Amino acid sequence: MEWWLWPIALFAITFAMGIVAVLAGVGGGVLFVPIVSAFFPFHLDFVRAAGLLIALTSALSAAPSLLANGLASLRLAMPLALIGSVTSVIGALLGLALPTGIVQIALGLTILGIALIMWRAGRTEHPAVPHPDALGAALGMHGVYHDPALARDVSWRVHRTPAAFFAFAGIGVLAGMFGLGAGWANVPALNLLMGVPLKLAVGTSGFILSVVDTSAAWIYLNRGAVLPMIVVPSLIGVMLGAKVGARLLRVVSSSVIRQVVLAVLLVAGSRALLKGLGI
Amino acid sequence: MEHAIYARWLDIGTRIGAALLVASFAIYVFGWLEPHVSHADLMQLWTLPADHYVAATGAPTGWAWLQHLHKGDYLNFLGVAVFTTITIVCYARIVPALPRLHAALALIQIAVLLAAALS
Repeated sequence: MEWWLWPIALFAITFAMGIVAVLAGVGGGVLFVPIVSAFFPFHLDFVRAAGLLIALTSALSAAPSLLANGLASLRLAMPLALIGSVTSVIGALLGLALPTGIVQIALGLTILGIALIMWRAGRTEHPAVPHPDALGAALGMHGVYHDPALARDVSWRVHRTPAAFFAFAGIGVLAGMFGLGAGWANVPALNLLMGVPLKLAVGTSGFILSVVDTSAAWIYLNRGAVLPMIVVPSLIGVMLGAKVGARLLRVVSSSVIRQVVLAVLLVAGSRALLKGLGI
Repeated sequence: MEHAIYARWLDIGTRIGAALLVASFAIYVFGWLEPHVSHADLMQLWTLPADHYVAATGAPTGWAWLQHLHKGDYLNFLGVAVFTTITIVCYARIVPALPRLHAALALIQIAVLLAAALS
């Protein structure tokens, strides 16, 4: 196969991923790593680094409008991102140090776990927080945001902040180790665990991701795991695909697409697991 | 106020990073600058773990890529570095606008990101 066919193939598949990711409400990174590591010849180290950079640039590109429109809260995000960024460095170092077979098995299990979370986890538009905890209050994790759909201001506060710190520490390790992005875990942690309204949870999740993935990305960059021939066409493909996906949102049933994504994750996760087990 | 400042700086940074990445990739993929690892050789080498790839190609690690910007593949690192640095710049920019506790958190965050960048 000619070398130039690979970036074209990557662009084509990531363009499709970008469309599907938006329609299914997941990040591009969560599809990129399992699919590309399963069906392309690149070593997992390069795929994870590319996945991380895709998740990072997508989060960075979305953050300005989320922040400007008040749909992401800096004061909510800052302590959680700090914890996640420390543990994502640990995850990245672990991922590069462990034997590939072990990382592959862990990746397979994680992807299957993500599919389970996507299938089972509910979401609550405006969770009740009857008793905000002292830590969250001390860190200023409360506020008001304007919901354009409701055409009114919504006040919010949080609970279970110490448990959330542990959750984001774990999420950081997974994000750094596998380059999957972490919106699939951030949103349930913010929404279901801390009681953050769903819209604010989604927006703040993107912001947290942009910080957590930055620290892990430096580890991959400094260890020589970033190959532009893999990263750049994939990044452009996901971003352009996401723009097309956003336009298709009105006409395509997102629940059907979500089922397809679940099926893809199950296949790719099983393949990663079997590959790691040498089967 | 800090949201608006952060959003404005991040927006500028991501636009610069994206432009650099697209331009440098065009230079790399069309061979206008000789790469450190040729396109043909890359196909044999991208199956290796990252540390084996570095050993096999003498690829720069850490910040040594800055000395290889005259090579097509490492020119792309400029755009990548903008994306991985912009958060540090944005945090630094909002520190004066934050209350004391959050300013301290922002400074610790900057230290963590710098430690990762210099690791």
